[in-house]
Amino acid sequence: MMEKDKLRKADIFSGSLIALFGLWVVSQALKMPMKDSWGGVQNVWFVSPALFPLFVGAMITLLGAFLIRTALKAVGRAGLRDVLGWLASRELANYLRSAANLRFYAMLVLLFSYVFMAIPRVDFFACSVLFLMAFISMFYFDDDALLKKLFGCYLALTAGLLLFFIFGLPQTLEATLPYAGDWLTLACIGIYGLFTWRSIRSIPPLRKKYRLSLILAFAAPFSIGPIFKYFLLVPMPTEGLIVAAMDAIWYWDF
Amino acid sequence: MMIFDRIGDFFGIVVSIAADPINLAILFGSVLLGIMFGAMPGLTSTLGVALLTALTYGMDTSLAMVCLLAIYVGGTYGGSYASILINIPGTAAAAATALDGYPLACKGEGGRAIGLTTTASAIGTSISMLFVVSISPIISHFALQFTSFEFFLLAFFGILISGTLTSPDLVIKGWIAGFLGLFLACVGRDLLQFYPRFTFGYTELDSGVEVVPVLIGAFGIPQIIQVLRDRFAIGETQKLQRIIPEIGMVIRNIPAIVRSALIGVGIGAVPGIGEDIAGWVSYGTAKNTARNPDDFGKGELKGVLASETANNACVGGAMIPLLNLGIPGSPPAAMLLGALMLHGVQPGPMITFEHPTFIMEVAAILLLASMAMFVSGMLLAKQVVKVLRIPTQIFMPIIGMLCIIGSYSLGLNIFNLYLMLPVGIICYFLTQMGYPIAPLVIGVILGPMADENLRRALMVSQGSFLPIFQRPVSLILFVIIVWTVVSQFEWFRNAKRAALQKILNRKGSCEATLEENESETP
Repeated sequence: MMEKDKLRKADIFSGSLIALFGLWVVSQALKMPMKDSWGGVQNVWFVSPALFPLFVGAMITLLGAFLIRTALKAVGRAGLRDVLGWLASRELANYLRSAANLRFYAMLVLLFSYVFMAIPRVDFFACSVLFLMAFISMFYFDDDALLKKLFGCYLALTAGLLLFFIFGLPQTLEATLPYAGDWLTLACIGIYGLFTWRSIRSIPPLRKKYRLSLILAFAAPFSIGPIFKYFLLVPMPTEGLIVAAMDAIWYWDF
Repeated sequence: MMIFDRIGDFFGIVVSIAADPINLAILFGSVLLGIMFGAMPGLTSTLGVALLTALTYGMDTSLAMVCLLAIYVGGTYGGSYASILINIPGTAAAAATALDGYPLACKGEGGRAIGLTTTASAIGTSISMLFVVSISPIISHFALQFTSFEFFLLAFFGILISGTLTSPDLVIKGWIAGFLGLFLACVGRDLLQFYPRFTFGYTELDSGVEVVPVLIGAFGIPQIIQVLRDRFAIGETQKLQRIIPEIGMVIRNIPAIVRSALIGVGIGAVPGIGEDIAGWVSYGTAKNTARNPDDFGKGELKGVLASETANNACVGGAMIPLLNLGIPGSPPAAMLLGALMLHGVQPGPMITFEHPTFIMEVAAILLLASMAMFVSGMLLAKQVVKVLRIPTQIFMPIIGMLCIIGSYSLGLNIFNLYLMLPVGIICYFLTQMGYPIAPLVIGVILGPMADENLRRALMVSQGSFLPIFQRPVSLILFVIIVWTVVSQFEWFRNAKRAALQKILNRKGSCEATLEENESETP
C-alpha cells in the first residue's frame, strides 16, 4: 500500500474511475426491462432485473464521489495541481521505467501470455515448463539488468508464438507436422534455456540458481499435472504432444 | 437428556471420522500442508484453502471438508512460525504474535514460543468447536423465522461491516470494495426472470461469475505480484530449540485463554472479519489487563498466548454464520462456502434439515484438526521451519501455475482463467490503493442472496418497504446498518460527543447540587 499522502492523491483518480464505473453500471441497468414485458412476464419495478444493479451502480457512484470529496479535502487544490503536474512531467516516465515496474510488466506479460495465448493452444506441460522457466529465472537471479535481458528474450519468443497462432499455421501444418504449436514451444524452451545459460555462465553463483530453476520448471508441472490428469481425472486445458506421450506410457498395455 | 444425546452423537462422529485411515491420512497431510502455507510469508491460509478446493472437487463432501478445514486450521497456526523465527508474519493472523514471539526467539526461547503457540492454537480451535456445536442450533432455529427482508438486510450488513472493519485506509474504500463485489454478483442471468445482465453476449457469463476462480484470482494473483514486484525477501531465521508444550503456563493462564478464545469466536462470527483482527484485539486486551503491560513487546509469553488462542478460535467462530446463515465469517470461510456450494451443500438455516449431521461433522473435524495440528506442531515443527529457507522467487511462480490449473479444473472451463486473471490484476491495484479485498469477496458471495431476497421481499409486500419497520429483527438490522454508516461521519461523531458531554455535565451538576445540599444540612 502507498503512503497516506500519496494515497489521498491517488484517491482522486481511483474515486473518479469508480464514480464513472458506477455511472456506467446505472446506464446499463437502465436498459434492462423495468415496466416492459420480458419473456411473457409483465414487469413491475420491484421485481425488475434492473433493481439491484441500479442500487449497486448508484451506491458505487455515490461512494466514488464521496471518496473524491474526502481526497480533495485532504490534499486541497494545491495537491490536485501537484498530481496533474506530476502526470505531465518527466517523473511519470521515470516512474514507469523504474525497476519495480519492470518486474511488474514482466509478470503481466508472463501471466497474460500463459493464460490467453499458451494455455488454450499449447500442450499444458510444454507451455507450463516455458512459463515456469522464464518466471523463475527472471526473478530468482535477482538482477534487474539480467531480468531486462531475459524479459526481452521471452517477449521476442512470445511474439513469435503469437504470430504463429494468429496466422493459423498450426492448422496449415497439421497434416505434415502434427502438434506444430507444441514443437515450436519446445523449441522456445530450448532457445530460452540456451539464451539464459549464455547470459549467466560467467557468473558462478547464478549457475547454481539456473540449474535449480531448470529442475523446478520441469519438476513442478510434471508432478502437479499428472495428479490432476490421472488421479483426479481432470483433462488438461490443451492436450498435445506431451500429454499424448504420457497417455501412451500411462495406458501402456504391459 | 437431549444434551447427552447430542454429546453422544458428536463423539460418535469423531470416532467414525478418526477410524478411517484415509480420513486420518488426509487430515494430517492437510494440516501439515496448511502449516507450510501459513509458515511461508506471502502464502495465506485463504490461498491454501482456495488451491486445495480444486483438488477436493472429486472427493465426497465430508472428505473434502476434512481436507479444507484441516488446511484452514493448520494455515492459521502456521503463520506463527515465521512471526517467531524471522519477525515476518507468515499470515496476517499471526502479525500480533511477532511482537513478542520474535524477541523470545532472539533470547533463545523460540522453541518455547512455538510450543506455546501450538498448545494455545489447539486450545483455541477446540474451544471454538464447542461454540459451533452449542450455538449453531440456536442460531439456526432463530434464522428459520427470517423472511426475505431479513436475509437481504443480513447480507447487506455483512458487506458493510466487513468493509468497515477490514479497510486498512478509509472505511469508504471498504464499502466501495463490497459494492464492486456486489456488481460482480450481478453478472449473469438474474435468478427470478433469467434476464441476461452484463453478459455482453458471452454465453459463458450466463450462469454468472464462478465464485471460486474469482476468489483464487482475488487472493492469489495480488499476492504473487506484490511479493515479486517489491522484492520481498525472507530474513535470517532464528535458531529453533526443543519444542515444549508449556502445559504449566497454559494451566496458570486459563482465564486469559478463555477470554482470548471468546474474543476469537466473537470476532470470527462477525461476517467477513478475519483472524488478524481477532489476534490484535486479543493481544491488546491481554496487554491492557496485564499487571505489567510494559513487558509486552519484549518477549512476554502471555502476548503470544493471547494472539494465538484468539486467531485459531476465530476459525470456529467463522463457521457459525457460515453454516447457519450462509454468510462467511472470514476470507478463508468465504472460500469454504464456495467449496461447499461446489459440493452441492447450501449453508443456511435449512442445513439442519437438509444435512442433519453436517454441523456436528464440521465440529468433529475441527476437533480432530486441532489434535492433528498439536501433534504435527510438536513433532514436525523443526522440519517444517525448513520451508522458510525456500526463496519466494521460487515458490511464487509455482503458486501462479497452481492458481491457473486450480481455477481451470473447477468446471473444466478456460473462460474461468480469462476471468480469474483480470480480477486478480484489478485486485492488485485495489490493494495498492488501500482497498480491502475481503469485502469484495463477501460481496461476490452474498450478492445473489441480497438481490434475490430484496426482490422477493418487495414482491410479497407489493413494493412496500414498510415491513422492515414492522418486523423486530429487520428493524434491528436496519438500525445497526444505519448506525454503522452514520457513525463513520465526522458530524455524527461530533454530535454524539456533544450529547455525551451534555449528559455528563448534567449528571455532574446534579451531583454537585446534591453534595452542596448535603453539606448545607446540619
